[in-house]
Amino acid sequence: MTKKTKITIDYSRCGDGNGIDPRECCKCLQTCAPAVFLLHQTLGAEEPDPFDPKKWRVTPQWPSLCTLCMNCVKNCPVNAIEVKQ
Amino acid sequence: MCDLCMKHGAGGKWYLNSKHYSDKIAEQYNLRDFLLEQYKNFEQVSMRKVHGFNAVGLDYRLRMPVIGRIMKNIAGNMLHSTKPPSDPFKPEGHIGQVVPLEDAIAILEECAAEPIIEKNCMCRYMSRGIKEACCINFGVMSEIISKLPRFIPEKDKFHLTRKEAVDRFTAHNKKGYIGTIWFGPFPYINNLCSCENPECAGIRPRFDFGIMSIHKAEYVIQLDHNRCDDCRACIQKCPFKAIEINPLNKNVKVNLDKCYGCGVCRHVCPQDALYLCPRDTIPEVRGRY
Ligand code: SF4
Ligand code: SF4
Ligand code: SF4
Ligand code: SF4
Ligand code: SF4
Repeated sequence: MTKKTKITIDYSRCGDGNGIDPRECCKCLQTCAPAVFLLHQTLGAEEPDPFDPKKWRVTPQWPSLCTLCMNCVKNCPVNAIEVKQ
Repeated sequence: MCDLCMKHGAGGKWYLNSKHYSDKIAEQYNLRDFLLEQYKNFEQVSMRKVHGFNAVGLDYRLRMPVIGRIMKNIAGNMLHSTKPPSDPFKPEGHIGQVVPLEDAIAILEECAAEPIIEKNCMCRYMSRGIKEACCINFGVMSEIISKLPRFIPEKDKFHLTRKEAVDRFTAHNKKGYIGTIWFGPFPYINNLCSCENPECAGIRPRFDFGIMSIHKAEYVIQLDHNRCDDCRACIQKCPFKAIEINPLNKNVKVNLDKCYGCGVCRHVCPQDALYLCPRDTIPEVRGRY
C-alpha cells in the first residue's frame, strides 16, 4: 500500500476545544473536491462519549481519498488544518 | 431484477410495491419512535461506534486486504438486514437503489404515502456545510421531520402535492442529481433522494470502497453510435465516471461496468443518443447490481 495521508485538525482553533464554530466557516468542506471532511456534533475517536449537541467539529473522515491539493490548508482562516504524507 | 426485487417486489420492482410505503408497516415496527430518535441525533449517528468499529479511521482499514474484506461484509450485511429494526444508532436495514426519472415519477404518483415533504439534505450539510432541499419524504417520516426545524427548508416549500414533488424531483434530476430510493429502515420506504457523488453518504461506501450500500439501477445506459457526434457533454455529466473516450478511435463510449443506470447523462445529450435499457437484457451486466 502507498503511504498514508495524515490530516489533523487543531480543535483548539476550530471546533469543540474552544475554537471557532466550524458551522460558521465550512471552507475546508467546500474547497475539498473529494469531500474528505465531515461536519458533525462532537463525538471523537479518542473519548468514550463526549457527545454535546451544542458543540460541533470537523473530522477528516476519508484521508485515503485526499489528493494533497492543500486547498483546505490554504483556505482555513485559523490555520487549524495540517496535511502530511 | 436485483435480489431486493426477488425478495420484496411481489413479482415487480421492490420500490414499486406500495405495501412498503404504508403507515401500517411503520406502526407495526414502531418506527415513529425509532425514526424520531434517529433523526433527532442525525449529525452524530455516523460517528458512533458500530460493531466495535469507529467511523473515524475506518477509511484506511477498509483498504486493508483481509480486515477490509471482513469489515465490508459486516457493513453490507448490516445494511441488508431484514430483522425488525432495534437500534436507531445503527444503519441497519438501510439499503437503497438508484432510480431513473421515470421510476421516480412512478413512485411519487403511485406509491408514496401522504403527507409528502421535501427536507434539507443532511449528506450535503455534513459534507459541504450547505443546506439544500432535495430529499423527498413520505408518510410517517414526513410527520417526524415536521418536528425537527433544522430539516425544514427556509426558502423552498416544505409540504408538497404529488405534482409539486414530481416537478421538484424532475428539476433535480435535470441538474444531474442521482435519484435514489431507500428502505429506511427495512421494510419501510420513506425517502426518495436526489444525491451527488461524493457528497452522498449512501453512495460513497459503494463507489469508493465497494461496500454494498446501494444497488445500481434496474437499468443500464446504451449509446447509439449512429446518433452520437462525440460532443463529450455526457462525460462531464456522469456522476459515476462511466462515460469514457475510446483510446483507439477517440469516440465516446460507455463503460457498462461502471454505469449505475441513473440516466442523468440523457438530459445533456443534444443528439438523443443515450437511452436506458433494462439491466437484465444486456448480457455484460445482467444480474450485476
Ligand atoms: S489537501 Fe485537498 S484533497 Fe486533501 S483534504 Fe485538503 S482539500 Fe481535500
Ligand atoms: S476551514 Fe478551518 S476554520 Fe473553517 S471549518 Fe474548516 S477547520 Fe474550521
Ligand atoms: S441520500 Fe442523497 S438526498 Fe438523501 S440525504 Fe443523502 S445525499 Fe442527500
Ligand atoms: S452513464 Fe450510467 S451512471 Fe453515468 S450518468 Fe449515464 S446512466 Fe448514469
Ligand atoms: S452527449 Fe450525446 S452526442 Fe454528446 S458525446 Fe454524449 S452521447 Fe454523444
